Amino acid sequence: MKLLTHNMLTSHVKGVTKGYPLLIKATEVKVNEVEFNSQFVSRMIPKLEWSALVQAAEGLGHLEDLSAELVADYENNEEFLKKVHKVLLEVEVVEGSLQCPESGREFPISRGVPNMLLNEDEV
Amino acid sequence: MEAAASALEREHVHRVYDKIAPYFNDSRYKAWPKVRQFLLDQQPGSLVADVGCGNGKYLGINKKVVILGCDVCCPLVAYASSQGHEVQVCDGLHLPYRDGVFDAVLSIAVIHHLSTMERRVRAIREMARCLRDGGRIMIYVWALEQKYRKFEKQDIFVPWNPDPPLAQRPMRDGAQSVGADAHTGSDAHRKARSTSSVAEARRQKSPRLWFFSRSLDSVFDFGSLSVSHSSSRELSVSVATPAVGMVSRGRGLMRQVSSFFSPSALSASLEEDVFEELSDLQGDQQEGGRRETARDVPSPPPPAAAIMAKYGSLPLPDMVPASKGGGEESGSGSGEQGGGESPEEEEEEEEEEGGGLALSGASCLRYYHVFREGELAELIEKHVEELHVITSYFDHANWCVVAEKIQVWKI
Repeated sequence: MKLLTHNMLTSHVKGVTKGYPLLIKATEVKVNEVEFNSQFVSRMIPKLEWSALVQAAEGLGHLEDLSAELVADYENNEEFLKKVHKVLLEVEVVEGSLQCPESGREFPISRGVPNMLLNEDEV
Repeated sequence: MEAAASALEREHVHRVYDKIAPYFNDSRYKAWPKVRQFLLDQQPGSLVADVGCGNGKYLGINKKVVILGCDVCCPLVAYASSQGHEVQVCDGLHLPYRDGVFDAVLSIAVIHHLSTMERRVRAIREMARCLRDGGRIMIYVWALEQKYRKFEKQDIFVPWNPDPPLAQRPMRDGAQSVGADAHTGSDAHRKARSTSSVAEARRQKSPRLWFFSRSLDSVFDFGSLSVSHSSSRELSVSVATPAVGMVSRGRGLMRQVSSFFSPSALSASLEEDVFEELSDLQGDQQEGGRRETARDVPSPPPPAAAIMAKYGSLPLPDMVPASKGGGEESGSGSGEQGGGESPEEEEEEEEEEGGGLALSGASCLRYYHVFREGELAELIEKHVEELHVITSYFDHANWCVVAEKIQVWKI
């Protein structure tokens, strides 16, 4: 699970109103090499919940000096975009779980795949 | 009704896909051209969701977008993940995505597996929730109206690999010895398949089997259920009378209600996969010909691995035989449904997923609600106000809709 994906995921346990962002509890993380495309990254940024990204990256020890606030005029800031690229697309949680911030329910991540299936009593 | 619906889907969708997954995830399967085009038309840097992504065949089509796949079938998701895609396991009625994040959503041959209208609507609404305003969704579902025939009823069970009435399958053993390992799928293997004319002859003789049922919606509309029996040549028959809201698992099924012979007719594929060479096949009326044109067939598993599936299955509360002689015997066509007398053959969209697997058909019945013309668009127009239908068309045995997420102003 890449952090880009994590940024889109939310807990959908019944009754939960604040299910985002999910807390990452990782037991295995890897960093891949992914081709950098500044335009691509720049287009992704507006779709992100920036603070959730920073929080997630920090939790994994891969903050890469990303600022808590989004840099202005980032489209032209290649250095910044490269950091975002790494955090968003190269860092990957292979094993661990995602925890709902409100209910505490954990969704397992196995071989990079989060299992977000709810039990019958959670829907 | 909810419990019955989800029990039915668990038994006749989820469990079947779990079983057939190893034979389903052939990376050589291609995508429907119009779906492919929809993906390629997305702006670079778009965020796309493929809800019900199966083996992930659409996930790698447009490298300029970010596409997340999800499916309820773990083995298929695992396969898609192994191909380097970002995928999750989840249920289409409860998507784990926050609101309005996607620029586009795909739902290709998915919602026809939901057994009530209400659930189908909920699935569409869930996907609409995840779409941003102005974002588009493309939905494909199997059509009632096929090229050469029309299903009589909309709620059907399609055998994955039923035992043919004549109950012998010399071909299968032969095929097994021919095939290479399913996952390595070699050209040599393909050639071996395509030169098999015995199978072709065989398939022309055997009947196609469908199971019809009344939809769960109608069942629970009536207060009381009519129960009927039908004799069967092979399968034992039993009917369960459910308590309202609960369907108990039973051991038998209502036997198929209509069968017909389909000699050489083009099997318009209901399968979501199509090969790139499909355009070459447009005029080709031969099933055999179609088979020959690059339908990659994973070989059946070695006999030792054959699974003898339990016969138990969930009977619908009210499975009634469709009218006999529904005129489908015309032999002009197979709706392609069907389990296939030659299970190892692949061109039937069903078989494609794993021909030759020795699973008894009864336990691998996949439930489908096939849509009639206009039904999908109508469903959206009437029940999903946040989506506006842009276009609606028929594509290779599917009814298709593209709809746009709109802001709904409540006064």
